[in-house]
Amino acid sequence: MLLLSAFAFILILFLITFFYLKGGDFKEMFKGNPDDLNFDEQENKTQGWLFVAFGIGFLLFILFLIFKWGGSLLPEAASVHGADVDSLMLITGIIIIFVFVVTHILLFVLVYKYAFNKNRKPAFFTHNLKLELLWTALPAMVLVVLISVGLYNWNSIMTPLDENDDIVLIELYAKQFDWTARYAGNDGKLGRANVFLIKGSNFLGIDTTDVVAFDDKIVKNEFHLPVNKPVQFVFRAQDVMHSAYMPHFRAQMNCVPGLKTQFNFTPKYTTQEMRRITKNPDFDYILLCNKICGMAHFSMKMKIVVESEEDYNLWLASNQSFKQ
Amino acid sequence: MENNLSIYNYEFSENKKAKEPLLWIGLVSIIMFFAGLTSAVIVSSTSSTWKIFTLPNTFWYSSIAIIISSITFQLGYSFVKKNNLLLPKLLFISTLILGFTFVYFQYEGLSYLYQQGIYATGNKSTTSSSYLYVLTVLHIFHLFFGIISLGVVTTKSLMNKYNSSNFLGIKLSLTYWHFLGILWLYLFMFLTIMMSK
Amino acid sequence: MDITHSEHKHHESFISKYLFSRDHKMIAKQFMITGFTMGFIGIIMSVLFRLQLGWPGEKFLINDLLLGSWANGGVIAPDKYLALVTMHGTIMVFFMLTAGLSGTFSNLLIPLQIGARDMASGFINMLSYWIFFVSCIVMLVSLGVEGGAASSGWTIYPPLSALPEAIPGSGLGMTLWLVSMALFITSSLIGSLNYIVTILNLRTKGMTFTRLPLTIWSFLVTAILGVLSFPVLLSAVLLLVFDRSFGTSFYLSDIYIGGQALERFGGSPILFEHLFWFLGHPEVYIVLLPSLGITSEIVSTMSRKPIFGYKFMIGSILAIGGLSFIVWGHHMFVTGMNPFLGAVFTITTLLIAIPSAIKVFNYLTTLWRGNIIFSPAMLFSIGLISTFITGGLTGLILGDATLDINVHDTYFVVGHFHIVMGLSAVFGTFAGVYHWFPKMFGKMMNNTWGQIHFWITIVTAYGVFFPMHFLGLAGVPRRYYTNSSFPMFDDFVNLNEIISIFAIIAFIGQFIFIFNFLYSIFKGRKASQNPWSSNTLEWTTPVEHIHGNWPGEIPEVHRWPYDYNKPGYEEFIPQNVPLKKGEVESV
Repeated sequence: MLLLSAFAFILILFLITFFYLKGGDFKEMFKGNPDDLNFDEQENKTQGWLFVAFGIGFLLFILFLIFKWGGSLLPEAASVHGADVDSLMLITGIIIIFVFVVTHILLFVLVYKYAFNKNRKPAFFTHNLKLELLWTALPAMVLVVLISVGLYNWNSIMTPLDENDDIVLIELYAKQFDWTARYAGNDGKLGRANVFLIKGSNFLGIDTTDVVAFDDKIVKNEFHLPVNKPVQFVFRAQDVMHSAYMPHFRAQMNCVPGLKTQFNFTPKYTTQEMRRITKNPDFDYILLCNKICGMAHFSMKMKIVVESEEDYNLWLASNQSFKQ
Repeated sequence: MENNLSIYNYEFSENKKAKEPLLWIGLVSIIMFFAGLTSAVIVSSTSSTWKIFTLPNTFWYSSIAIIISSITFQLGYSFVKKNNLLLPKLLFISTLILGFTFVYFQYEGLSYLYQQGIYATGNKSTTSSSYLYVLTVLHIFHLFFGIISLGVVTTKSLMNKYNSSNFLGIKLSLTYWHFLGILWLYLFMFLTIMMSK
Repeated sequence: MDITHSEHKHHESFISKYLFSRDHKMIAKQFMITGFTMGFIGIIMSVLFRLQLGWPGEKFLINDLLLGSWANGGVIAPDKYLALVTMHGTIMVFFMLTAGLSGTFSNLLIPLQIGARDMASGFINMLSYWIFFVSCIVMLVSLGVEGGAASSGWTIYPPLSALPEAIPGSGLGMTLWLVSMALFITSSLIGSLNYIVTILNLRTKGMTFTRLPLTIWSFLVTAILGVLSFPVLLSAVLLLVFDRSFGTSFYLSDIYIGGQALERFGGSPILFEHLFWFLGHPEVYIVLLPSLGITSEIVSTMSRKPIFGYKFMIGSILAIGGLSFIVWGHHMFVTGMNPFLGAVFTITTLLIAIPSAIKVFNYLTTLWRGNIIFSPAMLFSIGLISTFITGGLTGLILGDATLDINVHDTYFVVGHFHIVMGLSAVFGTFAGVYHWFPKMFGKMMNNTWGQIHFWITIVTAYGVFFPMHFLGLAGVPRRYYTNSSFPMFDDFVNLNEIISIFAIIAFIGQFIFIFNFLYSIFKGRKASQNPWSSNTLEWTTPVEHIHGNWPGEIPEVHRWPYDYNKPGYEEFIPQNVPLKKGEVESV
């Protein structure tokens, strides 16, 4: 509540300033401007000043945000493709910030400089083809760069892995309101599943007659990934749409009932390494639900552990297979 | 200036000039409505569970009925424009009858499908059968307004309200009726293709 | 020229004058009052859920007072939080910013600025308003039904919206939502029909397309977008109704819920998303374009300088309108749709940056070497230019499929669309109200309070929405009741508090506007006929409203609307003034 009173204080200060700008006459504030068009040079000048002040305040606010929370943003990408995403984000970000700052400076300076003045005769400047073509072409050229880099990355991220390669195949199963992971097991294949087979403990609806399913491993609460090995995810949902969001890996895909979606990435850092990078001993990778899915949407999560391949194999062996 | 003020007395007369474009743009929005639905059919038909079946023959009969009705309506309209006021009465009435015939055949067709076990809703329905019912029923829903306007045109024609200088009402109704005919032929063709995919 | 009451007699009852009026000026006011009332309700909702987000789990008396059974001893229930979010979105996007903005200013300005006695069909216009009114009532009633209002987000993705087992709000609340929406679509469709036909057919003599004010151009494109996209939403809504109530499976497949598997096959929720966003994206421009049109008009008038690049402005409005139909897929990059489509949608989406950039630079050039008079309308227009830049730029990130993966459905999106479409449209609305208030009510609004209103609004609005980009870049998902289940978001507790405080002040600040608005209607200074020395035709009509707008002949148009400070001529030359001897038309 301290913050709230501080803000209220600023608000009152602001109103008082305005009050004095109006000559300290309260009645004057209710009357408003006697003319239709406000030809009061001083007042227009003040508004121009306020825009400059606003611009500076805006900039300070952004710097404050960066200083205070810039360090709390997502750390370096923990996946191989994530590094490409981050570098594209950096390029785009620099362009955006540059354009943002320049246009805003222009806007506020123009507004300040050309505030009403009795002696100024405004220019009659209706159009200028060269100028207009210039600012049609400029953004177009920037876009060509952004689009081509973006599409190159997009295509490589979205190409599914070859199942015959040495990869980890995991199914993430979403239901209200938790996640389940199913590992393909030794045969590298996931068994068939179907909503009509959901019964009791078989809440994934796995086909118990499918031989491929026997060695599948089902885990809850947390799942493990080996570092530096491509992981192919397949997503299913039981009831409504969910979205598997793994922000540290720059990975997200919706889980849609009746549809199998997929995403793949290669983890680059183990949880331990990431704890060192972020200087946070409690750091954990996390899987969140990022598509509104009902009452407890906000608490639907699963922990992800990335570790060396030996540790991963040990952990996987400690889990029971489906038919055991 | 003040004289002008009292002289000019604007009444809310509906602007005649605007009626036709209003209808045409209305038709555009109906086209978009059915475009939305038919593209939904195309998207759904890529599903592995898409079931195919043959459309009933009565749809052919109803198509013929609606084509002939368009012709009779058009003829009636051109006679009115030539100030021949007797023939149009007959032609409008037969258009009306043909319109009802169309609805009858549509109903027959759908009940035939129903007897075949092709349901619109419920556990035994499939998306393809649901789409078929939805599209035909929505077309009939739009036709309902066509029939109302046709009824108005026929009544007014029987009361000799139209002549070669007053036929805007017929023209509007006629445009809508042609549109419904074309819309049905499109839907019929579209459904035939999609249901046999 | 003061037009006297006595000369012009209205033989009208209260009902035909104020309720079932077919006069476009009255209908505009009706749309404004209804839309703003809905907007006010929507903003209250946002303040309530901001309280929850700023201070999760804390008890607030106001929740008990306003929400009753939705709040558990002063704390909003999790599912009712979602209902609030959903209703806030629906009300603000459709009822406030579509009907309240476009409905108000299209109705008010189209006949006045093109020189027509009224809309093409006064009856359809009246019908459009009353259907809208009924849809508002249905939407408000849905707040009070058992199970609560619709709670699956304003995008109502099935299966969540289709199955009452999934969330209580998907019961009767959702049904009413759909009914209300169907009515709303009808209202907005027939309204748009009217706008288009009026602009195409009822322009006064000399009002060629290259002499139309940019407001009219933007209203025209807006209406065209509405006619083409709303029917598709209607078809999507209709299929959803069938799925919900009649057991079809257009959107449903392979679902196990409430302890049993549903016998539904072959449907796809993705289909709904396609249909929804085919409307949904043009809808963004239905909301935004009228504001841009209003701003173009005001920036030129208040800089006392012609708008720069009139034809490029028209071109960019048309380009934005056209492109808006082929970009809907950028809302669906991570739904598992074909990656190739994702690539196509990335290209089309980013292309929108070009016409947007043209508009911004043209605004800036219009300001350059102008003589700017800071009326409240002008302040809000400058505010709009700023929010349009800020929000538009982050669109470059969201429109890029690769970058969207990680910020999709996070607060980054919330910040982006609230700034670019929410704030811009709201600023445009305020600008329009301040500017055309004399036309609507024959009174002037108070300048000083208008300025105070603007400064509070822009500071708090940026204070609310700018920090959200930081939340989004940290991966905070939207529509979370609280972030407390995730330690990684603990750093942002204070930031959420700050956002909420800004939101509360922003809300309180709006009372200045409400007060100024009501006070000016009754006690405001009488307006003169052309208070802003503006060129467009609406200022040639008498201050007192009369049916048919002009007491005598409709004025003939001889020039474009932006002849301000033309060298060698008067300071401003209204459109109905014939060209002088030897004068060349400016464009």
